[in-house]
Amino acid sequence: MADVVGLLGEHGDDAKPLAGGQSLVPMLAMRLTRFEHIVDLNKVEELFGVTADNGGVRIGAMTRQAAVETDATVAERVPLLHLATPHIGHFQIRNRGTIGGSVAHADPASEYPAVMLALDGVAEVASASGTREVPAAEFFESTFMTAVAPDELLTALRFPAWEQPAGFAFDEIARRSGDFALAGVAVGIGTDGGGRINRAAVGMLGVGPTPLRASSVEAALTGLAVADADPAEIGRLAADDMNPIGDVHASADYRRRAGSTLVGRVLADALSQLTQEANGG
Amino acid sequence: MVADQISLSMTINGRARRGVAEPRLTLADFLREQAQCTGVHLGCEHGVCGSCTVLMDGEAVRSCLLFAVQADGADITTVEGLAPDEETLHPVQEAFRDCHGLQCGFCTPGFIVSVTAFLEANPDPSDEEIRHGIAGNLCRCTGYQGIVAATRQAAAAMKGSGQS
Amino acid sequence: MSTAAARYVGQSVKRLEDPRLVTGHGRYVDDIMLPGMLHVAFGRSDLARATITHLDTSAAEALDGVHAVFTGADLNSHNDSLRASLHPPESPAPPANMLADGDVRFVGDPYVMVVAESRYIAEDALELVDVEFEPLDPVVDYETAAESDNHVHPELGGNLAHDLPVPNPAQQEVFENAAHIITETWHQHRQTNVPMETRGIVASWQPHAGVMEVWASTQSPHEMQLVGARVLGIGEHKMVVHFGDVGGGFGQKMFLGREDMAVLVAAKLLASPVKWIEDRRENLLASNHARIEQMTVSMAVDEDGNFLAADLDQLEDDGAYPLGGPATPGAMATMLYPGPYRMGPVSWRARTVYTNTCGRGAYRGPWQMESVAREQMIDRVAREIGIDPLELRRRNVLKPEDLPYQVSTGLFYETTISPEQTLEQAAEMIGYDDFRAEQAKAREEGRYLGLGMALYIEPTSMGMGPLGTESAMLRVEVDGHVNVFMGTGSHGQSLETTIAQLVADELGVRPDDVTLHQGHGSGYGFGTGGSRSAVIAGSAARAAASGVREKVVAIAAHLMEASADDLEVADGVISVKGTPAASMTMAQVAATAYQNSDALPPGTEAGLEHTARYKAPPTTHSNACHICTCEIDPGTGKVTLLRYVVSEDCGVLINPMVVDGQIAGGVVQGIGGVLYEHCVYDESGNPLASTFLDYLVPTAAEVPDLETGHVVVPSDTPGGHKGTGEGGAIGAPPAVFNAVADALAPFGVYPNRQPLDPNAVLSLIASASDS
Ligand SMILES: Cc1cc2nc3c(=O)[nH]c(=O)nc-3n(C[C@H](O)[C@H](O)[C@H](O)COP(=O)(O)OP(=O)(O)OC[C@H]3O[C@@H](n4cnc5c(N)ncnc54)[C@H](O)[C@@H]3O)c2cc1C
Ligand code: FES
Ligand code: FES
Repeated sequence: MADVVGLLGEHGDDAKPLAGGQSLVPMLAMRLTRFEHIVDLNKVEELFGVTADNGGVRIGAMTRQAAVETDATVAERVPLLHLATPHIGHFQIRNRGTIGGSVAHADPASEYPAVMLALDGVAEVASASGTREVPAAEFFESTFMTAVAPDELLTALRFPAWEQPAGFAFDEIARRSGDFALAGVAVGIGTDGGGRINRAAVGMLGVGPTPLRASSVEAALTGLAVADADPAEIGRLAADDMNPIGDVHASADYRRRAGSTLVGRVLADALSQLTQEANGG
Repeated sequence: MVADQISLSMTINGRARRGVAEPRLTLADFLREQAQCTGVHLGCEHGVCGSCTVLMDGEAVRSCLLFAVQADGADITTVEGLAPDEETLHPVQEAFRDCHGLQCGFCTPGFIVSVTAFLEANPDPSDEEIRHGIAGNLCRCTGYQGIVAATRQAAAAMKGSGQS
Repeated sequence: MSTAAARYVGQSVKRLEDPRLVTGHGRYVDDIMLPGMLHVAFGRSDLARATITHLDTSAAEALDGVHAVFTGADLNSHNDSLRASLHPPESPAPPANMLADGDVRFVGDPYVMVVAESRYIAEDALELVDVEFEPLDPVVDYETAAESDNHVHPELGGNLAHDLPVPNPAQQEVFENAAHIITETWHQHRQTNVPMETRGIVASWQPHAGVMEVWASTQSPHEMQLVGARVLGIGEHKMVVHFGDVGGGFGQKMFLGREDMAVLVAAKLLASPVKWIEDRRENLLASNHARIEQMTVSMAVDEDGNFLAADLDQLEDDGAYPLGGPATPGAMATMLYPGPYRMGPVSWRARTVYTNTCGRGAYRGPWQMESVAREQMIDRVAREIGIDPLELRRRNVLKPEDLPYQVSTGLFYETTISPEQTLEQAAEMIGYDDFRAEQAKAREEGRYLGLGMALYIEPTSMGMGPLGTESAMLRVEVDGHVNVFMGTGSHGQSLETTIAQLVADELGVRPDDVTLHQGHGSGYGFGTGGSRSAVIAGSAARAAASGVREKVVAIAAHLMEASADDLEVADGVISVKGTPAASMTMAQVAATAYQNSDALPPGTEAGLEHTARYKAPPTTHSNACHICTCEIDPGTGKVTLLRYVVSEDCGVLINPMVVDGQIAGGVVQGIGGVLYEHCVYDESGNPLASTFLDYLVPTAAEVPDLETGHVVVPSDTPGGHKGTGEGGAIGAPPAVFNAVADALAPFGVYPNRQPLDPNAVLSLIASASDS
């Protein structure tokens, strides 16, 4: 790894790390971008793997999406990652694509960035001059732009533990199976154990230049009794947290309307898990 | 602009092969042009159509999105490597033929490799799982009816013969 | 002599092409690798309309590995016409330039061609071409193109390519007194064929021999031969076209593209083998587009819902360089509008215009706008006048007692069509009444289900002009194997199998004993497209086989000292009926015919071969009814198809598995067209769907199981077949559209344009709640 970081430091803007290649190689093939040096991370062993970390997990940047999908520790401790992964492309893509690549690429319609944002994940970044940590809230700067500088390498992501009883749900609207989302949402709702919501985490994808948190929704939920939360109504608040643009697949207006409907549905899903829990289900 | 040629070796369909490639040569082009695996088809060269799917160390991957040099040392299986001998088809190939899972045949190698890997991981899929499982490959001819049926038949056949 | 028994025709014989294709041993054009072969990359315009103010290729030429860089000025003088065989020489056409010269006329217009040692190097060289453009105002909107002062092709003096008005005073009279006149404009949108194998060609010039050897991804090897020879100025016999596996076409590979011609000319100039394999971006932006059209329909209907008359106005976008020439599909669409109904007198007008966009080309069911407009209109009429759409169709559909039937637009239906039967069969299959009950119940629960149907008649196997005939040269070889040489271009239609089945029955061999050869060495034929191969090629193959069979029987009778009338031929064995022990094999007959001709019956010509050419009747009509059901998610606008049934009549089925496969493929293209696919252009003429992440071909997850039913009314052609390749893509768009419109009915909105993607559906719902 020291070699890689050294190379990036030496060549700066002329070098580009290659992870799973599922986004970078199509761009190179279409000659939309080119670099003097491509630094292949695929043989850098330290960058692979999931480890338990203080109740949460630490996932090496080169961990394949397919490995995230089937990892038992991830499924138990970060259910949202587990739920979101099957929505990424197709299994052949996930066999190569990496969690670090997804996050570093920072496509606003990608699943992992929204999950990372919702769960207050932390990025570990290394360069020739040392390592640093970047919290998710500061990581995604704009479309395809992150806090990782050209001479830096994203080495791992950490997802902290959720201590309280919680419900998690993820869903998205995509044109076809496996397509990037028109709009998607990742929801985690935690309670004090007595049926009152004390933590709400709502990350949205496809509805802004970066992944976004639905802060109005989170605020509206926090402090409510699970039984009193009307997900459809609260979901509508998400429209104000969005900043979508239109493209060939859907207008900005569509993303806002359908996206907030989706937020309501996914909230309902997460809340229903808490209701079931309360009912001893 | 002629870049350095890098020598590499890999196992392709069970045979050790050596070759040279400039760094930007894709695995798909290497397999087609240097290893005569012209069953590796290129339908888009940007990762969506799945025609170029091969197994790399047992996992289905897009060979258009890999550089040949990245496969140095790897074990590659293409559609040409699935049938046990000239007289016998692999159960997935047999099923595609039985169920009219192909018309022009261009998407077929990618589908057959993908379905083989898919059934490996999900030996007993529901129809719904099949449809999503094969959604990473595009076919313009068949409307997928025969392909879904073939996947169903192959699952049954492979279970019967203990192939999965 | 006994007649042939149907042993193989009608069976789902496994395909003969499959063993090589499922193992990766097909041979597509990109698999042709010749010593010294060079590779082509085209430089294409990024602007819809612009003058080329500066073009310097010297840096590109200087790159190592580059053999040549051609511009329009270098190449265009080698070709005086882009004319396809179907395009009359006297009718006006865009200028015959293979590469843009002086100005570019759509995004994707090729203006420079690099020939290099590898595609990688050719693309490197393109980046070194020094070019400057002066942008001009493009003509993008086809609805206003005819009036625009900007001309796509200044040489033609205007953007109107065709204007064909055919008024009918009888129609106007009926309109004056009709109870209802209902008018709507139906829009289709820009889509493209998307064969999974893009276009491609390998051309190899043999100097002094003067022969051009070509491997091409084509549906029509003879079109390649004729037009290629004309472009090169060589005799047709010097143009040798090899036909291998072809990865789909759906109309796109019927004609030569400008790029194909450029490659031919370059290969001759360089005297080296040259390969061009289109990439997907080129295919999506610059091969051909289709279905950019609208039809304004007014229909007069009486109190009881009887159709009385119709008035049609069709407008279609030809783009800049229509593939296969500026055609008039709109005229066909309007002429075919009456479809399977008593429609009364019809007036029509069809116009086509040029725009600065990718050229129009044939796409499976190229004039299916007739079914789209008619079937959508019928559902619209049904809603307006309050009659159930199935009932409205029942009242107007042509019944067996109406046949034969002369349509006011000039079509003539033979007695062998069966629209009413397919309508009833499809309604039965879907469980029409039960669905309506389920739908009503769902609506009470706030769920939105819909049902759509489409009934149509498809003219197949057109018997006119270059399309009218096919030939088959059939030869039983010394070892008894049968080789058939035909002018077809099977690219997924399974002709190697279905022709073998026909020949097997007619000649008395097994399908495995028959090999179909296409391309070089076959007799002229138009190729495979237009749902023509089963009837036209099939009948030619049958006639050739029957000619040989007669001779086989005569020789065997002579050798076995039996009467020809007592012999039967099956599975390659000629035997005396009732005495199977008395027999000989096809191989024995063949060996005698070639190697021991003195033993032949007196006066019998040596050898065992026969050539036959079949001339088709003007049209053979097939017909079908599609019904599908869907559910709409009112929160996201997503349409999910629930069930899809097709009842069709393609006459006698040669191979039911193949027929069902053709239907399924067409249906899913239709579903794709209405719900997913769209070649979007912005107002400046920039195409926005240039990858497979933007141009959305449906995957397996988007399509339902298809249920097919068959009504079999044999046609009057020799085997009783009717064509079947395109139908799925004709019936599916209006069926799907009608299903979505039906599901939206509770909102009180009615769509009139596609695509019905989530965005469109949600805005329709929103427009209802906003108003
Ligand atoms: C058909 C298809 C469908 C897809 N669908 C989806 C989808 O639905 N959702 C989705 O999220 N993605 C989708 N993807 C993209 C896929 O998930 C990519 O794999 C992912 O976005 C990038 O990961 P990668 O490992 O392939 O990265 P690469 O393509 O190798 O790299 C992407 C970018 O990140 C940089 N990078 C990678 N790793 C690091 C690192 N450790 N440090 C610094 N920079 C780094 C690279 O330099 C490059 O700029 C799809 C791709 C395809 C081809
Ligand atoms: S060619 Fe590799 S996915 Fe299409
Ligand atoms: S069989 Fe032609 S693309 Fe699938």
